[in-house]
Amino acid sequence: MFAWTTAAPAITASFAASFVEVVEAFTIVLAVAALRGWRPALIGAVAALGALALVVAVLGPALDLIPLRALEVTIGVLLLLFGLGWLRKAVLRAAGIMALHDEDAIFEREKAEIGGEVRGARSADWLAGLAAFKAVLLEGLEVVFIVLAVGAGRGLIGPAALGALGAFVTVMAIGLAVRRPLARVPENTLKFGVGVMLSAFGVFWTCEGVGAPWPGGDLALFGLAAVFLLVGLGLANLLRLRPAEARS
Amino acid sequence: MSVIQEVLAELWSMFVGDRRLTLLLLVVVGLGAAAALVLPAAAVAPLVLVGAIGVLADSVFHAARKAGR
Repeated sequence: MFAWTTAAPAITASFAASFVEVVEAFTIVLAVAALRGWRPALIGAVAALGALALVVAVLGPALDLIPLRALEVTIGVLLLLFGLGWLRKAVLRAAGIMALHDEDAIFEREKAEIGGEVRGARSADWLAGLAAFKAVLLEGLEVVFIVLAVGAGRGLIGPAALGALGAFVTVMAIGLAVRRPLARVPENTLKFGVGVMLSAFGVFWTCEGVGAPWPGGDLALFGLAAVFLLVGLGLANLLRLRPAEARS
Repeated sequence: MSVIQEVLAELWSMFVGDRRLTLLLLVVVGLGAAAALVLPAAAVAPLVLVGAIGVLADSVFHAARKAGR
């Protein structure tokens, strides 16, 4: 049985990160469905989920074979790379330097691209299904990494997977009800939050791995997240305050 | 591009999307690991945190400068 103070950050990080990824995959699956119907879209998506389950089934037990210290450093560094990458993009988007993610625009672009590929093709349904497969596989890989990374080392893969499953069910329930890209999801805010949490996990695990654990144990995660949140908001504000000519 | 190539490209971009950030972060972690051999643990953890924040700030300002060009 796990403690909630330990499991809550893993579940929250996994839910929020997976939510963003599932929204992105759903947009492309919806584009496929709009072009060729739900059958190829769902076959492609379900096949990708099966491939991802296989990856988890192979990688999950393999992680137990790695010595704990090496696992902590490896996962810590990968989480830092991934988390800081998301936080960087979220800061640049919040500051207006990078364009915000627009699910409606992506839906139209994907529809045009996939439509161009399948038009006139004899195996149009196959190509459309492959597009759905690739979208779910590529976005799902990030979910798999996050679940394994925030869950491994503390026996929290179950709770982290629960968070991802919760995100999947929520997005699918809303998406299938509205049958439109989920453009109103505050994606950059979610990415900002996920970047903060994954960076906090990354510093925590890296320090544990190099033999310099944080005082307070798992509770230090909350403090680390607060620091990254303040730094991220501060950087976004600093960039917003730069003179206009420096940004143009 | 084949599905496998796309998967590999996705994995690469997940962790090495920004080479400068990746390289600097590896330097910070390497220095943290080296410092852990000679400094008390209570001093190393904050060093890694400050280093990670520095890498983030560098990456953000570098991207902003590039976008301003």
